[in-house]
Amino acid sequence: MSMIPSIKILTNSSLLFDVSHYSEPHILATQKKLWALAQYCKNSNEFIDLVPAMNSLTLYLKSSEMLHKWHNNLAKLWEEVDDYPFDSQHHQINTYYQGEDLDYVANYHQLTIDEVINLHSKELYHVLFLGFVPGFPYLHGLNSRLFTPRRDNPRVSVPKGAIAIGADQTGIYPEDSPGGWHIIAHTDACLFDSKAANPCLFKPGDTIEFVPVKGVSND
Amino acid sequence: MIKVIKSGIQLTIQDLGRVGFRHLGVSRSGSLDTYAHIIANRLLNNTDNAAVLELTVGLCELQFQCDTVIALHGADLKATLDGHPLYPGWSYPIKAMQTLKFATGRGGSRAYIAVKGGIECPEVMGSKSTDLGAAIGGFNGRALQSGDVLAISPYTKPWLCNKGALTPPKRNIIRLHVGPHYELLTPECINAFCDTAFTINSNSNRMGVRLDHKNADIMQHTLSLPSVAVAPGSIQLPPDGNPIVLLNDGQTTGGYPLIAHVIEADLHQFAQFRTADPITFKFVSLEQANAAKNKLDAHLAQLKLSLSRYWD
Repeated sequence: MSMIPSIKILTNSSLLFDVSHYSEPHILATQKKLWALAQYCKNSNEFIDLVPAMNSLTLYLKSSEMLHKWHNNLAKLWEEVDDYPFDSQHHQINTYYQGEDLDYVANYHQLTIDEVINLHSKELYHVLFLGFVPGFPYLHGLNSRLFTPRRDNPRVSVPKGAIAIGADQTGIYPEDSPGGWHIIAHTDACLFDSKAANPCLFKPGDTIEFVPVKGVSND
Repeated sequence: MIKVIKSGIQLTIQDLGRVGFRHLGVSRSGSLDTYAHIIANRLLNNTDNAAVLELTVGLCELQFQCDTVIALHGADLKATLDGHPLYPGWSYPIKAMQTLKFATGRGGSRAYIAVKGGIECPEVMGSKSTDLGAAIGGFNGRALQSGDVLAISPYTKPWLCNKGALTPPKRNIIRLHVGPHYELLTPECINAFCDTAFTINSNSNRMGVRLDHKNADIMQHTLSLPSVAVAPGSIQLPPDGNPIVLLNDGQTTGGYPLIAHVIEADLHQFAQFRTADPITFKFVSLEQANAAKNKLDAHLAQLKLSLSRYWD
């Protein structure tokens, strides 16, 4: 973790702080530092938006006059933010493991349905970042025994609440969307409600566990 | 009230956009031509962020059901009020039951209709802007349709302001910041990007503008990158070599290399390009980008000053 971050000026009011060249095993540790860095920057009240992605953080400033200050300071801050606290919540997601592609995923890996459910539900997942549609979490933590190549033919509509696996990722669809991942389960949890005080259930840095529930989803 | 008789190609309620939620995957939305949006509002002494109507290409008809004042800006889509021509850059008092019609025009893509006091609708996540992808904001999260009725507050006082505002010059040379993945692309690719005459692809919308050109084979690549945040003005280069300029409804993260970023002062130009319009790109320094921004800001400040005597 001693590599030097890449800090680039994107525009006269935005910067990219990029540590995606750090090696693979450090994805989560690196991302935790980025959440801490984002929290530090947020507390300065000098940013419109702070957007983490895969081992990077893009910083959108309120004023272009602050560009050089932050450009000059970020490298030093990066060395100091290890223990900086960031907001994080834990979510238990009621999960109905009856997805359309559950059989396919089990057959693909030569596992039983129960083994797939067990492998998927025993892990603790971290919300690395959000994107694609409002509230869609990119999760870290999928067991490598469940890595499954994306569907050859993406679905035109994956239903709201679908929990799916695509390559080395798993995620939850906040609304009906096109998608190429394999649906293994569904949840009633509401991931995005624009009228709520906190419109998105998840934010970067939150943790999630999938809690298997018997019965049929109401959705 | 304003009744939508015909909504045209696309008619939406927009303010200056939804900010502070990009880390949750929520797009900015908002008027694509922010400059036209602000000028239209200033012509009425509205706040800059007051919600306006954004009309794409034209063919729209609106009936006012109360007295008000409107200002038009952006593209000249051949507006008429009960048959009399109206022009972008001017304010016009309106009487109840008058009808505003737009034909279409060749000078640009999007017209902005500001109404005294702004279009009224609930704020969603701090903004009245319509986010068509997430189906939130504006009028029930969707583009307007015939029969929709929009809330406005009547304005019945005499309207004394007879000043207009110039339409800013169109540019076909778009100025850019160097993108973060510039160095990962080959010099041949970058050279082609700078030298190529692009045209606007018809498959362009509020999410992004796609560009056609003859050098796609030189600009093709096989780079696969980790997802990175993107914003309105980011220029992505997908493997097929055809760049995409992301606009206000574009998503918040993406995996394509970012070759460049449109400078803030030129981004509004993309609101007005039409299919097959030619554009070229030019990289500029931060100082040049700031100077271009300051020039636009100075123009807006000058307008505010020259109008201020009407509001006192």
